[in-house]
Parts: sequence; structure tokens; C-alpha cells
Amino acid sequence: MILATYSIKGGVGKTSATVNLAYLSARAGYRTLLWDLDPQGAASFYYRIKPKVKGGSKALLRGKRSLDEAVKGTDFELLDLIPADFSYRNLDLLLAGTPKSDRGLGRLLEPLLVEYDRVFIDCPPSISRMSEDVFRLADALLVPVIPTTLSARTLDQLTEFLAERPHAARLRVLPFFSMADGDKALHTDMMLRLPERYPDMLTVPVPQSTEVERMGIHRMPLAAYAPSVDASVAYEQLWGEIMRRLQPSAGPQAQ
Amino acid sequence: MQLEPRVYAIPEGSDGTRMAMALSTRLHCDAAAPVKLPTRWLDSFDWRLYAAGAALEEIGADTGRELVWHDLADGGASVVRQRIPEEPGFAQAMAPGPVRERLLPLLGIRRLLPLLDLDIGRRSLNVLDDEDKTVVRILIEEPRLRADNERAELPLSGRVRLLPVRGYGDALREVADLLEGELGLAAVYAPVLLEALSAAGIHPCSYSPKLDYRLDPRQRADAAAKEIHLGLLDTLSANVQGTIDNLDSEFLHDLRVATRRARSALTQIKGVFPEPVVADMKERFGWLQRVTGPVRDLDVYLLDFPVMRESLPAPLRGDLEPLRTFVLSHYDQEQRKLAAMLESPQLHSLLRDWRAFLEAPVPQAAAPINAMRPVKDVADARIGRMYRRVRREGRAITGDSPPEDLHELRKSCKKLRYLMEFFQSLYPQEEMRGLIKQTKTLLDNLGRFQDLAVQAEHLRETALAMHDEGMHEVGTMLAMGALMRDLLAGQQAARAEFAVTFERFDTRRNRATFEALFRARGGRR
Repeated sequence: MILATYSIKGGVGKTSATVNLAYLSARAGYRTLLWDLDPQGAASFYYRIKPKVKGGSKALLRGKRSLDEAVKGTDFELLDLIPADFSYRNLDLLLAGTPKSDRGLGRLLEPLLVEYDRVFIDCPPSISRMSEDVFRLADALLVPVIPTTLSARTLDQLTEFLAERPHAARLRVLPFFSMADGDKALHTDMMLRLPERYPDMLTVPVPQSTEVERMGIHRMPLAAYAPSVDASVAYEQLWGEIMRRLQPSAGPQAQ
Repeated sequence: MQLEPRVYAIPEGSDGTRMAMALSTRLHCDAAAPVKLPTRWLDSFDWRLYAAGAALEEIGADTGRELVWHDLADGGASVVRQRIPEEPGFAQAMAPGPVRERLLPLLGIRRLLPLLDLDIGRRSLNVLDDEDKTVVRILIEEPRLRADNERAELPLSGRVRLLPVRGYGDALREVADLLEGELGLAAVYAPVLLEALSAAGIHPCSYSPKLDYRLDPRQRADAAAKEIHLGLLDTLSANVQGTIDNLDSEFLHDLRVATRRARSALTQIKGVFPEPVVADMKERFGWLQRVTGPVRDLDVYLLDFPVMRESLPAPLRGDLEPLRTFVLSHYDQEQRKLAAMLESPQLHSLLRDWRAFLEAPVPQAAAPINAMRPVKDVADARIGRMYRRVRREGRAITGDSPPEDLHELRKSCKKLRYLMEFFQSLYPQEEMRGLIKQTKTLLDNLGRFQDLAVQAEHLRETALAMHDEGMHEVGTMLAMGALMRDLLAGQQAARAEFAVTFERFDTRRNRATFEALFRARGGRR
């Protein structure tokens, strides 16, 4: 199952969510891979992995190196990561040079899919050939939305964009509220109104939290070192909700 | 590229504490306090996980229960794990998770049962790089087989396991060099489960309900028949306790199949045992088949229930629930009766007498007519004759034939199948497999025709019984009626398919293979 976290707008808590959800997936026992496609390399940094892929994206796309060689294990069992590389900034240009039928990122990822139960992709905030490849590839798109008018507008833009893409028809879009502040009237108001327009919206909001900002000091997922703070609890509940949405059929059955 | 985990034996004269000391003074690492892990290893009664190259470990029954899936081919490396709230049993009943995903297709309706318990003394060291990131994991393990009724506690060999962290192959090689060079450890392939099983005297895959005989064509027919019956008796006996404890429905199923096969072997391998013995055992196996019937019928209901429910239009599905409740309310009582029968002197003496007869030497004189003939001759004659009967009966069936004719054909067909399965090793493997498969296809069609009718009749009787016990929900009766209609429609469909199915069985080519393989020598008997 491939889950991509994506937002047109930056600074919305996307990487923090990816880092924590991937950690929770591995902790639940799934073989999990996190592909850090965001050239800022924040996810790689949080997992203490140097953001360098040998030969950069050129070597990957030209088939000189396989993605397999770039995979690094994290400090947590069952959780591996493909580090970001600054040359990913050029990935779009390179992908643009390959034919559409080439499947770009999908071709790179395919050999690894048998080794992992869950793949998380941390996408950079833009609409580009790369993100189009991700839309084609992923089973679900997790979209963090700050409960503000501007952030909600980018969600509208994304859904309009996807509606025009037939290849994204099977993609489940699961928006969730991120950096939510219950003391702000604008936030609470938006959190009431937006789900009316987006019934697929996940119900668990991730709160605004200084703890999340401190992840950069600890360099590990919040849920690993502070499992009982509000934001950790929220990530855990969010993860549970995502799994229930994506595999509703599995459940106990009497013998 | 996935790096392979490496396993080393702790050398004689050393132990876990000394190994941990030696490693932590030589490596930049982070050591956790030693722990004692109680672990339990599980499989189904018929070794489905082991046969698939997997091993399942349950750890921390007292703290947080977790199931760990190991790959035996990979030196017993753990692949995935899943927390579980309670003792593991059926995969179906587990919450979704990576271990359940792997268990479900292998286990089906079989229950996980404990194989053995180990206490593992474990020290873990994480080797770190200059950013304090883990680059290799080291586990130093000293397992002990836990004492139980049959044995005292037993130490197993200690191991140092290197678990690679992907992408840090250089660090793994450095640690391996240290272990192999300076510390002088030898690499071993030794998944702990395999050593523990062997220490406990448990033979993997010791149970299989499949018929797998290696007969010698020149062997005396009565000796071969005894070998066949002994195999069936072993299967039957192996399933008695699991049926009494009702661990899962396959115990009873396998017990009944072994009984049915034994009855068939008694009557179909003719003239090899004294007639009074045959008559006596036929009757006693008949009793066993009868007393095990009611619970099997209820099992079939419960196993089929989800499918039956789904086959109904959505608005009717909820109405079927009282049927399940009714079946469950009778289940315990029937199961208790069955357990009593299986614990009765009647069954004990059946198993004891039959084994005594089968293990006694064959008579050197005054043997029944076929006893001393080579088994191949007897098998040729019996299978050839049964094949011709199936063909004759099948060809006589027309669109107007009564159901009884199809039932008779089914019986003959079953006898033919069992005979071919008993004597399979006397004939070329490929051809035999083909013929058995063809016969099974024909049997499936005949089975559907009869079983669906029996199920429909059973449903009617259940409806009457429910009515007698004061359950008058009209919705339920209507839903059951809808089920009956579907069952009878399915039966009609099977009837309509019979002609084509039989035609595929009765081809010129099939006929030639049958005649060539089972040409009777020395006259028909």
C-alpha cells in the first residue's frame, strides 16, 4: 500500500505527519519504507540519515543505480528510508525528459514493493510531473490542511486538478486538519464547515504543538520519545483512522 | 540490496555476559539491560507454517503480547511482527495486521496451537555511527527449553545474531570481521526453533492427513492392505483428542475422512482379511461415522454461514442471524455427546483391537482368497472392475433418470477414487494423478447434486425444529426459504451439468488409459 503525503502549500505539518505515521506503521509491525522526495530533506534529517543518494537523481532515472541501493535502515526496526537528495530539485526536469509512458517514479519503486507492506512518500509542495507520477502511483493521498481559508483553498485547487486527471481516478484523497488551534475562532469554524464539503476528511485533527517543532532537536519521531503528548496521541488516532478507511473489510469473524 | 542477517554460535567456555562485555569494549554502541523473554512457538496441527518455511513466535504473554513471523530459510530472521491483545487462536479472529495478513491464507480455518515454550535470555547492543545512529543491531541470546510434564528444563546453544540495518553493509562487515577474527566465532545456520524441536523430540510435519503409501507391487495383498489401514488408523487416532477438545473443525473432519476411507478399504480391498473381522470392523466404523455426524453437520452450517448470508439479498441477511443462534445453542450439547462417545470404552476398544489385528503378522496358511496374491494384481482387478462399473452406471443415466441413480454412481465413483488413492504408488505417477483429478471433477458434480439437496432438506428440518422450540420469527423463516430456493436451484444446475461432466470423464483417451493401467491379470475376482 502506497501512501503519499502531499500539499500544494508548504509549512503545513506535512513532513512531521509523514515521519510519525511511518514510524507508527513500523511499530504496528508492518515493513515500512519512507521515500523522502522533498529536497529539503527534513524527513531524512529527523531519522539521522544523511540526505545524499549516490549519483543523485540522474543516476537513478538513467538506470545506472537502482533505488534499492539508496535505501537506509532507520534506528527503528522495520522502518527504512530513502534519503532526500538536493538533486531531486532537478528531478522534475529529468522526468520531463522521459516519455509519459515511462512511469518514471513507479518504475523506480516497483522492485521494492515486494519488500515492504507500506510505503510512505513525502512529496514536495508543488504540482509537477513528479507529483503527477505520485498521484498515479499512490493508493491514497494524505493531505494536511491548516484550518484557514487559504489552506482550504489549496485543497479545492488540488481536487479540481485531480478531477481532470483520469489516471488519478482510483486515488483516495484523505485530507486531515493539521496544526489546528482550538482557541482560534477561525480554526474551529473551518473545522466545522470544511468536512461538509469533503466528507472523506479524516476526523482526527493534529493540534498545533511546540512539541512537534522540537522533533528537530531529538531527531526522532515524536511518538518515539514523547508518546503521551497531545500531538503523539493525535498521530496515533489518525493512523488508526487511516487504516480503518483503507482496509475496512478486515475484521474479526467468529469461527 | 537486503543484507543477510548473520548468526554465530557462542563458543564453549564463554557465555552471553562475556560476549556482551567483549563487544561493548570494542565497539561504539548502546547496550540495553539484559532481559528474559518467555516465548512460545506456534503452528497448526498439520504444520502449515513450517511447511511454508515460516515459524511463528509469541513473545511477552505477561507484558504486551506480540506475534513475530520468522523466515526459516533466512536463518530464522524475523520478518514482521504484530501486537495482539489475547492468546492467538484463529487468524480470522485476529485484528488486521501484518502477521494476520500472512497467517490467513496459510491457516484458513485451522487454529494455532503451541509447539513448545522457550525462555530466552537476551542482551541487545546497537552499534552506532558518529551521529549516534544505529548501523548494526546485535542480539546475544541464550535460549532454554522450558520444563513441562514430559521433560526438564534444557539449555540450547547460545547465539550472537547480527541484524543488518539496510544501507550500512560496511558496518555489518566490520562487526562480522571482529566476531570471526579477533573473537573467533563460527557462523551457523541454526534457527532456534529447529534446535528446540529436535531437543524436545518433536518431528516437524509428523502429521499429514494425506495418503502417502510406498507399496511394493510384489508385496502380499493382505500385508499391503494392513499398511494402508495402519496409515488410516494413525490419522484417525491422531485426531481424537483434538476433536474431543474441539480445537478446530478440521480434527473432526480429518477423523471422519479417515473413518470413511477405512470403511471403503475394508469393503473394496476384497478377500484379504477374514470375513468375520471385516464384518465386525465395518459395523464398528459405521458406529463411529454415525456418532460423529451431528457435530459435523453443525460445523458445516457454521463454516458456510457467512457465504449463505452473503448469498441472500442485503435486506434479508440480518434475518438469518437467529439460525446461527439456534445452531450455536445446540452445538455445545452435541459436542459434549460426541466427546463422551470418543472417550467411551467403545472407541478405545475399536482402536486397540484394530491396531492389534493390523500389527499382527500375516497368516502363512489358511489365508483368504486374495491375501497371498501380489498386491498389484489385486489392485488392477479391483480398480479395473470399479472403473467399468462407474462407466456402466454413468452411461445409463439420461435426463429422466431418478436422483437415486446419480447417488449410486456417486458411491461407485468414490470407491474408485479411494482405491486409486490407496494404490497410487503402484502406478506411473503422472497418469495416476490425471485419472484421480478427472474422477474428482466428476465426483464434485455428483457431490454438489446430492449435498445441495441434503442441505435443503436439512434446512427444512432445522426450520421445523426451530418452530417446535418456539422460535417463530417470520423473517427468519422467509430468509431460510430463500436459501432453500438457492440450494435447490444450485442442485438443478449441477444436474444439468452432469451430462457434459460425465462426457469429459468418459473420453476415448481416458478409457484407454484406464484399460492400459488396470488390465487384470489372472482373471477377474
